[in-house]
Amino acid sequence: MDLLWTISTTLLLCSLLSILWKEFDRRRNRSCYLLDFVCYKPSDDRKLSSELCSDIIVRNKRLSVPDYKFLLKVVVNSGISEETYGPRSIIEGREECPTHDDCVDEVDDCMYRTLDELFLRTGISPIDVDVLVVNVSMFAPSPSLTSRIVNRYRMREDVKNFSLVGMGCSASPIAIDLVNNIFETRKRTLAVVVTSESIAPNWYCGTDKSMMLGNCLFRSGGCSFMLTNDPSLKHRAKMNLKCLVRAHIGANDDAYGCAIQKEDDEGRVGFHLSKSLPKAAVRAFAENLQRLAPKVLPMGELALYVLRGFRHRLWRSKEAKTDAATAARVNFKSGVDHFCLHTGGAAVIDAVGRALGLTNYDMEPARMTLHRWGNTSASSLWYVLGYMEAKKRLRRKDRVLMLSFGAGFKCNSCLWEVLRDLNDGGAWDDCIRAYPPQTLDNPFIEKFGWVKEA
Amino acid sequence: MPRAPFPELSSSVRLKYVKLGYQYLVNNFVAFLLIPVMIAVSLVLVRRGPDEIMALWHSLQLDLTQVLFSVFLFVFVAAVYFVSRPRPVYLVDYACFKPPTTCRVPFATFMEHAWLINWDEKSVQFQTRILERSGLGEETCLPPANHYIPPIPTMEASRAEAQLVIFSAIDDLLKKTGLRPKNIDILVVNCSLFSPTPSLSAMIINKYELRSNIRSFNLSGMGCSAGLISIDLARDLLQVHPSSNALVISTEIITPNLYTGNQRSMLLPNCLFRMGAAAILLSNRRRDARRAKYRLLHLVRTHKGADDRAYRCVYQEEDAEGHTGISLSKDLMVIAGKALKSNITTIGPLVLPMSEQLLFFLTLVGRKLINHKWKPYIPDFKMAFEHFCIHAGGRAVIDELQNNLQLTAEHVEASRMTLHRFGNTSSSSLWYELSYIESKGRMRRGHRVWQIGFGSGFKCNSAVWKCLRTVETLVDGPWTDCINRYPVDIPDVVKL
Repeated sequence: MDLLWTISTTLLLCSLLSILWKEFDRRRNRSCYLLDFVCYKPSDDRKLSSELCSDIIVRNKRLSVPDYKFLLKVVVNSGISEETYGPRSIIEGREECPTHDDCVDEVDDCMYRTLDELFLRTGISPIDVDVLVVNVSMFAPSPSLTSRIVNRYRMREDVKNFSLVGMGCSASPIAIDLVNNIFETRKRTLAVVVTSESIAPNWYCGTDKSMMLGNCLFRSGGCSFMLTNDPSLKHRAKMNLKCLVRAHIGANDDAYGCAIQKEDDEGRVGFHLSKSLPKAAVRAFAENLQRLAPKVLPMGELALYVLRGFRHRLWRSKEAKTDAATAARVNFKSGVDHFCLHTGGAAVIDAVGRALGLTNYDMEPARMTLHRWGNTSASSLWYVLGYMEAKKRLRRKDRVLMLSFGAGFKCNSCLWEVLRDLNDGGAWDDCIRAYPPQTLDNPFIEKFGWVKEA
Repeated sequence: MPRAPFPELSSSVRLKYVKLGYQYLVNNFVAFLLIPVMIAVSLVLVRRGPDEIMALWHSLQLDLTQVLFSVFLFVFVAAVYFVSRPRPVYLVDYACFKPPTTCRVPFATFMEHAWLINWDEKSVQFQTRILERSGLGEETCLPPANHYIPPIPTMEASRAEAQLVIFSAIDDLLKKTGLRPKNIDILVVNCSLFSPTPSLSAMIINKYELRSNIRSFNLSGMGCSAGLISIDLARDLLQVHPSSNALVISTEIITPNLYTGNQRSMLLPNCLFRMGAAAILLSNRRRDARRAKYRLLHLVRTHKGADDRAYRCVYQEEDAEGHTGISLSKDLMVIAGKALKSNITTIGPLVLPMSEQLLFFLTLVGRKLINHKWKPYIPDFKMAFEHFCIHAGGRAVIDELQNNLQLTAEHVEASRMTLHRFGNTSSSSLWYELSYIESKGRMRRGHRVWQIGFGSGFKCNSAVWKCLRTVETLVDGPWTDCINRYPVDIPDVVKL
């Protein structure tokens, strides 16, 4: 029965081929390409100088003189320049009673400006968008922000839209995680993600110091970016996602409560940042790095790390070994070329940089972003990336690590591989030549020099 | 409210039987085709006789190894086919929050509070009229903070309500399923009008000490149909991660959203929204298939936001005096009908039997080519589903859908009774309705359920589930103590 034999062998080969093809197809679908990103640049009439900040602080008649000094000190020493932006309602004096329209306009301006430019630059029409994700942590109107975008750009009826809210400063990797998961279930899908923060409705007008920090550090900003898993668009893509790690230590009460929106003793809502925040950040950071290291580091470095671990266990070294300190022993620079650190504050950048063993050159993009744009919450990573691109640091095959922290407490990270040499100026175009400046000191230190003595 | 005219093709009894015969023929077409083939084959066999058949068999000279090899090949190909199918999504179980009786808001309480908070006679009269015609009963509940005069819409009170409703539902679910919190892989929470930072998902992770590598998502602002959006997201995640389970929480927090102004279009939500929550456990593990209640067959999302009228029909804004509220436009029913039609266009081909699809197609062709005055054929969805869960958004929504889909009173009973007993609990209402059907002992193995949700945007989302095991009547749920009183007759207007 040669015929039977031939038929059997053919069927067997076909089955094997189909399995191989399915596996190959699945891996192909796993790609998540970043086509482009556009960072938000508000209009110049929204710039918040230190002088203007001081005026705004003084408007709060409930504060005492020590409170003013404390706040001015924070502002002056924050590493934030005179060029950052605030919402119109605060600049125009309505910080204590913003209208619903003020809040909506603030977010609309960011979303629409960045999306208009994104669609223009990529040449892709809004009608082709399959997935839309918006993350704005502290403002969720009805209909949702995604519906606002669907309405304005007349998107399709079957667009998958998700409005992520309340996920803090590290919501960007969460949105990417969501899109990436959808990419694995559908072919040739195009996704648009908008990440921003809403400051107007969240201005704190009480006297609790732990809640006033937010007022001083948060600034207006946002970013829209486009992702796809369509291999035919790979040649136009800027980066490819290699891995993503999310760590959530909310199970611990201190971590959950260290950055929380709540009412103060007088019933005013504010964002409370507790003293245990750095500790929670370290724990979440360690948790994230433990899972990130094997995915990011080359085999040699991993082997060294394991060997050091054995040596420590065998010889019971007396040195205090916290997880963060162990992390410092691991040379992340062996697997990562550029680091996009969340610009939570100068102290955060310094601490993370020390833990990862980074040089001033590595931390420069984050520091400069904090200086030029302030803490723009979830979108800060994209401004840092924009700096690197404007400085022409991103070359083909470079690996970029995005690392951010957020309320909950979370630490999320994702690793990108650059697909081609990048040199767009983006939002940094008009000022990149002035960076890095001679000094990061606030020019008004002379005027407010007395705060340094307090 | 204008009602769209729909055709009555089977007006006479004779036509009805003709239609039945046609449906039977088309839906079992393959079987009908095979019958003559089988008859022919058996006739040939019978004519040949048993001895000849045995001789034929021996003449094939099949070798043992070849037979074994063919069997192996067949099994291998079958295995490849089964493994490459998309992962099924099972609904292991779900639990709905049962509000305590202390939170009850009978009509008298509601009217008195409305008067004491508002002091505007016209507004109170308007709300009374709405309540009379709303289809709500006397046992719906508002959160504790809304029982104060004036209500205390603080963040602390809102969090307290969230903890009350969500944790109760999750505790019930954990007890029912025996699930350990550390085994939860995916968490999706949706709550439209309350979104603190950290999110409600972080609050749940904190309370139940969930794992640090959990995939959590918090959706907000997505309206009353967000429950199905969360299920959609959980489904996509379960397709990607093998051997996982997902906890989906759907709720709406009422505390911070009481409208204290006088604009009529914004007073409606005050009258209709009540507190509720549902916790749903989904899984893609094959071993859960044995104990799961339902399997998700289809989920279709439709977003009509591109149309300005649809986009603005449920809209949060400030009134002239600066009070924020959600205004419902007069066009709501028309827009809901259109959104449903769009949704049906996608889901119809997936669920309708061949007979209905063919009729629809032929009528469409006829309208285009023969006579465009032919009325469009509305497929009979009662053939595709045994049960319907229509979002209990309000009496008008249920009436409109009953009319559009030509459903009987029994089909919409679950929705009407849920509206009566629990009010409009937003995204969790679909689960209260499902619980009603189960509590009534109507859910049998093989039955299909269609859940339809509407929400701001304007969205229409629908999900189709198939029941995997007959659900026993003594269902432990929100209806346990009152199911025997239902169904009740709800008058068009309750005189207050």
